[in-house]
Amino acid sequence: MKKEIYESHKFLKLGVKIWPSMFSELGACRDLIWRLFVRDVTAKYKQSFLGIFWAIITPLFAIATFSFLNRSGILNIGHVDVPYILYALIGLSIFQIFSTGIVAGCGSLVSAADMITKINFPRESLVIASMAQALTEFIIKFFMILILFVIYKFVPKWEIIFLPIVLVPMVFLTLGLSFVLSLINGIFRDTAQLVTILSSFLLFLTPVLYPIPSDHVFLFKVNPLVALVNAPRDLMIYGLIREPLDYAVASGVSVLFFLISWRLFHLIETKIPERV
Amino acid sequence: MSDCMIQFESVGKKFSKSLQRSMFYGALDVFQTALGRMPDSTCLRPDEFWAIDGVSFELKKGETLGIIGSNGSGKTTLLRMLNGIFMPDKGRITIQGKVGALIQVGAGFHPLLSGRDNIYINGAILGMTKKEIDQKFDSIVDFADIGDFLDAPVKHYSSGMFVRLGFAIAIHCEPDILLIDEILSVGDLKFQLKCNKFITENLLKRGCTIVFVSHNRYAIQDICQKVLYLSHGRMIQLGETTEVMNRYLNDIQEKKVEQSSSLQTEDSLRIEFLDGQGQAKSSFKSGEKVRIRFHYKFDDSIVRPSVGITFVHADTRFNVVSNTDYLFNVHSGYDGLNVPRLGGKGYFEVEFDHWYLPVGIYRYLTYIFSENNTNLFYKNEDAGEVEIVWSENSSMRSLMDLPHRWSVQPNT
Repeated sequence: MKKEIYESHKFLKLGVKIWPSMFSELGACRDLIWRLFVRDVTAKYKQSFLGIFWAIITPLFAIATFSFLNRSGILNIGHVDVPYILYALIGLSIFQIFSTGIVAGCGSLVSAADMITKINFPRESLVIASMAQALTEFIIKFFMILILFVIYKFVPKWEIIFLPIVLVPMVFLTLGLSFVLSLINGIFRDTAQLVTILSSFLLFLTPVLYPIPSDHVFLFKVNPLVALVNAPRDLMIYGLIREPLDYAVASGVSVLFFLISWRLFHLIETKIPERV
Repeated sequence: MSDCMIQFESVGKKFSKSLQRSMFYGALDVFQTALGRMPDSTCLRPDEFWAIDGVSFELKKGETLGIIGSNGSGKTTLLRMLNGIFMPDKGRITIQGKVGALIQVGAGFHPLLSGRDNIYINGAILGMTKKEIDQKFDSIVDFADIGDFLDAPVKHYSSGMFVRLGFAIAIHCEPDILLIDEILSVGDLKFQLKCNKFITENLLKRGCTIVFVSHNRYAIQDICQKVLYLSHGRMIQLGETTEVMNRYLNDIQEKKVEQSSSLQTEDSLRIEFLDGQGQAKSSFKSGEKVRIRFHYKFDDSIVRPSVGITFVHADTRFNVVSNTDYLFNVHSGYDGLNVPRLGGKGYFEVEFDHWYLPVGIYRYLTYIFSENNTNLFYKNEDAGEVEIVWSENSSMRSLMDLPHRWSVQPNT
């Protein structure tokens, strides 16, 4: 029979032994994560008229604005090898995995406050399942990209099949941030607003809608999102990653960050139900 | 392995009264934990208080524990700690087995999704696998009794249906330990009976350990073997149900009735029961003629005195908390007996031609009022007991016994 001991600082006292318990818990709640994942997706589009089309409306507006700024000469976007709309949509789709992901992840614990304070279940499942929206929207956008490929008669290389793998570090980074932000949001509700604003600023600070300028800016060097957005986009357009070293470093950082955040989440999550 | 399912070792939990400080403390705790330091959680910081303090108990397999206490005594906090939602700040809790909680049923239901979807989601939250839910699906739907609404969004459910569905899912996850927090009172009577039946016939028989929080003392007395009495987060008493319930009921009664001990001495009023022949007795048959004599002894004379007697079941189930718990009550003043002034020794007498009561033991309370029933002069809450013994025509274990005659008319 399963034996549980509850005491203060339970997980801190575990020390390094916390890792096996974290992995076994994750394994045990696979089912739950999937259920919550499906719940979030179906509930999201259930009572809206345009349904999943919302996923493509927002990026189209952003791209239209940038196209206009580029053509009218207000903003010089620079040369891209493929039609701009294709370039921008691919970039934005990838970036929005991150931006939609952290906004949903940040609110995941607080919005489920009712459940957290009444039922004991692995709370990381809520955070992980909050990726549902971002990932489904990406899939919808990916189909739109395929349609654009046909319209512009662009044939991607076969290496595009590696796309899901190349996107994994981005998901890790998003989850890592979501773990930390959801905890902070449990204590200070301001976090949610801050994250929404921050994610739209990051869009402009990351070469998503414009190519990386030739004179490498310091900011782009330290921003892991640059490599994580550009590598999958390169894969879709050129069939290879043009700056593999940057991508490797960014991936490593993301995975490390995820592991640290996940551990933090485990240490601190027990203090959240009494605060939300 | 010991058969101890739940073990509380001097457990404490503190909360902050101020939201601002709570945020600050939360951030401080989180920060310290993140740095790997263990802040000392056993002392209070400004604005904090112990919601639970020094609670210790053990529960073995198949035992049922009731938790009682007035509002804010820490019952729900205790239950949440049992469920692992709140971590203790002091002490240690050891739990063995799968815990099922009916703290608030239907938490986690998504209003836009159908009952069917919500059964799967809620089941998963409560730790069931898809296979388990598939197996029990029909049984859950059957128990919840939601009929055609199974595929309707949960937000269109009535509150009763909502609770029924939540309860049905929760009890089907086959817990070793079940925590119940005052939820049985939500559904309609039919559903309440169904739940009680399920608990006694199914869960208790299976050896399920139950912790039950309720304000309904009948429910506690029906289900629980042990009771824990909490007040302001501290244990007042832990023990056998009748004993603890009496203490609890006494405590709340003490606050309700006027203190009358200083008014008169014990022997101011003595009660005597007489039968039709004038013989003093303490047990009667239902329907007998009964006279009750109130022997008084007043040191000073009393203006316009009146006496009364109130009967309750001696069975603790029918402990007196409010007037509705009185079985019956006679009072000379209310019945119009006017006495200008009395002193010294003497007696009042009230006569019943037929005293119809079901078989059982009855406890009685006596009191004397003075000056037009306005001043409570004397009160004895435990004046004595009288018994109704079994005879033909008497009714058993019911609230009333009415005079009656049977006949049968064949071949009509």
